Amino acid sequence: MVLMVDTTAKHIGKAISEELLRSGKNAAKFELIDTAGMHISHCAGCNYCWLKTPGVCAIQDDYEPILRKINEADQVWLISDTHFGFVSWQTKNIIDRIMPLITMYLKFKDGQMRHVMRYNHQPDIGIIYTGDGDQAYLERWCQRTALNLGSRSLGAFSETNRKEAVSCML
Amino acid sequence: MHVVIINGSPRVQKYSNTEQIIAAFAKGLSEKGITFEAYAISNRKTWDTIRDAYIKNDEILIALPLYVECVPGLLLEFLETLPKKDEHTRLSFLLQSGFAEGCQLRCGEEFLAKLPEYLGVRYGGCLVKGDNFCIRFWDEKRQAQVTKPYQAMGKLFAEGDGFLREEAKKFTGPEYFPLPIRLMMGLIFKTFVKKMFQKTAASWGCRVPLDEKVYRKI
Repeated sequence: MVLMVDTTAKHIGKAISEELLRSGKNAAKFELIDTAGMHISHCAGCNYCWLKTPGVCAIQDDYEPILRKINEADQVWLISDTHFGFVSWQTKNIIDRIMPLITMYLKFKDGQMRHVMRYNHQPDIGIIYTGDGDQAYLERWCQRTALNLGSRSLGAFSETNRKEAVSCML
Repeated sequence: MHVVIINGSPRVQKYSNTEQIIAAFAKGLSEKGITFEAYAISNRKTWDTIRDAYIKNDEILIALPLYVECVPGLLLEFLETLPKKDEHTRLSFLLQSGFAEGCQLRCGEEFLAKLPEYLGVRYGGCLVKGDNFCIRFWDEKRQAQVTKPYQAMGKLFAEGDGFLREEAKKFTGPEYFPLPIRLMMGLIFKTFVKKMFQKTAASWGCRVPLDEKVYRKI
């Protein structure tokens, strides 16, 4: 399943979904979550999801259904506005709060320290962004983020290249 | 020099590792006769005061924990509320993380190195160091001990070159651990460290395994 989490002010996820549907019978199974109107807090770094209630976030807001979908998805596309060349704080909050999918335990992988994942299945991560994003930096960040999950980066795509992004969803 | 220090951690100050690091760093500043004022963004109610201090002062240091390879979401939100200033203001960073090796913080460091230009200000460098996850679990004495190296960095900062000097760059420690160290640490992770985490969890009232699967298997 392809999951798109859209935090953009212009709700561009809808047009991307339509693009995906237009791709015909090969269109991937997908779900679009538009976070407009949802209450999603930032991660407060309490460590409860690692040490007190493993796998469960202490913050009770509208995020939990998103976390469940992220856990089930094969691909997660962060659809984000950009500031300082980077994803918006709304999108960063979505990613900061995936910690319940990760355990406290540590290991070395490819020469670097990593946390042991809680579940066996990990989604690949991609970015579709509006505005003046720092393409090279977004790609680097996406790769590093995927590395932490033990998955792959699908790349960062400007909204104007969304057809290319959609082709990666098929 | 008068430094405005902003704790960019979203965690409440009482349990903030970054707060302990700032305390040690500020001690170093004081020893060199440098004054400072310190704030923390974890309490939104203080954001207007912090922004005012950012506007009125020209030596700013943001200390922050690495959250998923970059700035925590809450700090990103705060940064978006800052007005543009000019090159008379210098913005430096102190980036810390749980993971121990330098390579883990470089992606975050790149964002911070580019940030001052977006805000119109001058970059004063970024002090980078990991292996700070456990500070909150130690008692006061041990906390002072493990954060002590930051005191020397406070003294270095007081000399006026931000974190642009070689000593600040060396502070990071190893970029990667050599294979024998990794093998040894890997073994310690599976034994001693695992037990330590389980013990901490138990003291927090946790009654299930730390790798408990909450969602059904897929």
